[in-house]
Amino acid sequence: MSHRRLEWLKAATSYLDTWAFAPSRHDRGSLVSYGLALLLLIVPLNQGLAAPSKVVSINLCSDQLLLMLAARHQIASVSRLALEPHSSFMAAAAVGIPVNDAKIEQLLTYNPDLILASPFSPPHLLNLLTKLGFRVEKLPHRSNLEGIRDNIRLMAKWLDRKDQGETLIREMDRRLAEVESRLGHLIRTQSEKPVALFYQPRGYTSGSGTLQHEALILAGWRNLSAELGIVGYSGIDLEHLLHGRPDQLFTSAYTPGSESLAQRSLRHPALARITGGKPIVQIDYRYWICGGPMIIDAVESLANAHNPGGS
Amino acid sequence: MRPIHPRLLAGLLTLALIAVFFVSLFVGSSPIPVIRAAREAADGNASVIALILTEVRLPRALIALFSGATLGLCGAAMQGLLRNPLAAPGLIGSSSGAVLGSVAVLYSGLGTLFWLALPAGGMLGSLLATLMVYLMAGRDAGTSTLILAGVAINSLALAMVSLILNLAPSPYAVQDIVLWMLGSIANRSLDDFWMLLPGTLIGWLLLVGSGRSLDALTLGEETAYTLGVNLPRLRWRIFIAIALAVGSAVSVTGTISFIGLVIPHLLRPLVGFQPGRLLPVSALGGALLLLLADIAVRLFPPGIEIKVGVLTSLVGAPFFLYLILKTRRWQT
Repeated sequence: MSHRRLEWLKAATSYLDTWAFAPSRHDRGSLVSYGLALLLLIVPLNQGLAAPSKVVSINLCSDQLLLMLAARHQIASVSRLALEPHSSFMAAAAVGIPVNDAKIEQLLTYNPDLILASPFSPPHLLNLLTKLGFRVEKLPHRSNLEGIRDNIRLMAKWLDRKDQGETLIREMDRRLAEVESRLGHLIRTQSEKPVALFYQPRGYTSGSGTLQHEALILAGWRNLSAELGIVGYSGIDLEHLLHGRPDQLFTSAYTPGSESLAQRSLRHPALARITGGKPIVQIDYRYWICGGPMIIDAVESLANAHNPGGS
Repeated sequence: MRPIHPRLLAGLLTLALIAVFFVSLFVGSSPIPVIRAAREAADGNASVIALILTEVRLPRALIALFSGATLGLCGAAMQGLLRNPLAAPGLIGSSSGAVLGSVAVLYSGLGTLFWLALPAGGMLGSLLATLMVYLMAGRDAGTSTLILAGVAINSLALAMVSLILNLAPSPYAVQDIVLWMLGSIANRSLDDFWMLLPGTLIGWLLLVGSGRSLDALTLGEETAYTLGVNLPRLRWRIFIAIALAVGSAVSVTGTISFIGLVIPHLLRPLVGFQPGRLLPVSALGGALLLLLADIAVRLFPPGIEIKVGVLTSLVGAPFFLYLILKTRRWQT
């Protein structure tokens, strides 16, 4: 941000205040007169009523919902991670869209009318953007299905694409109902639901209040970690794990083609033996880096693990 | 302290070691009926308690036993060879070199090339680092020169380990630094134990016959030479033995510090200051100390994971300071 432009912005906003307007956003390069500034102020005012047309997202979570809900012409830029196929569920859709690295200079060049961030985005960056008059919205972090629906509706509202939001939610619910009816048939033949556990590199697991827990329950498993009283993500002791006699272990980690001591812990022979030789089922990590409709893909994968080879 | 009869000392240590080894099988985060578990395991019954005993507690105890013995033994051998009370695998680069070698192999993906790739990396790294310290310090190095050379090589190895782990593609690599630097034998499997075993045993065998030469060496290099000790050969033999044993141990456990320093020191007066006699009792003592330390970290409530190396350092570092003060007083 050049010093001159800052000065101009200050002038423009003080001008606005005198007219009792809410401060609006501006980045029109070098303007010389207040008259021209006033002329431009009318444009964003109109835009505020219409759908945003230059949306920039700086976080993978908002990237993915944006790519799902927005019309392509509304998207000005997404974060670099949106293109990474192991992290981003929408990597294919993001191809060809300019990527940003959440750097202020870069963001200003898009002249966005809506900036999407996460609650964990660098606060000084968001503060600066807000101070400069840009509209910044933070997509909340969600770890259950209801929260995911809320996020879809929120994003749809921001983008003025409410119909698309409702369609997406209906599609989610339809697929969930499908999994449920398939499981209902399966579970009836079982005296009790089988016990599963997420075991991650370094011996971490997902207890209650996590997306993995939500997905396990929806897919007809009992979550051993939650039953052991684990809340959130926490380490689980190998002896405790074995004591719980899980029927199936799942893992889901961002580890494409890499090796570490942490990952070696998944190869402990006791893990295979406790489940009667069943291998640990790998679920794509991109389903739950962010809460989103892609959780249904994870639920379907988890449900399929009830009878490997079948369904 | 009066020397104890070497057989008696070794016998006492062996008894203590057997006792502690069995105690360690009884200690874990979840109480299990160990005797029944052992019977079920012997019957080939794959029950949960048998699994916990044979796949979780037994590997851990075995790895503690063998790597602890290696550290004690190698500390004693190194102190005898260099005739320097402050020489120990952790101080003169053998351990950090082994970490560097193992890290280079594991995170580059070479660890899956063949079964013993990881310990082989550790052995090579250990040998190179030890030789570099030895060459830097010179043959008849004083204590401070040797320690300084060790500090330099340790820092270099640590820096390179950090660099490799920071550049490694795995998102878990950076967190692994803690495991490598502090040492841990939690959640190890029998696979890890088999990986550690060959290098360890060959290293020990190489050291078995060196006791007499080390005894002769206490009389000075010339005297030792006239007594028929081939000094260059002895040096190579001990360096290679240490590289094999420490390299194997460290590639599985990370650096567990100070055992190689503390144990020979505590036991030296008890064997009448004879390096040859010190070797076997140091091995026993090292295994005893590491098993005890590992039992202690298991007594913390689950959720609090203390690395075993933290405990040995908490005991060893003050001891090291005390040794420095003592040698300083002795020199002036």
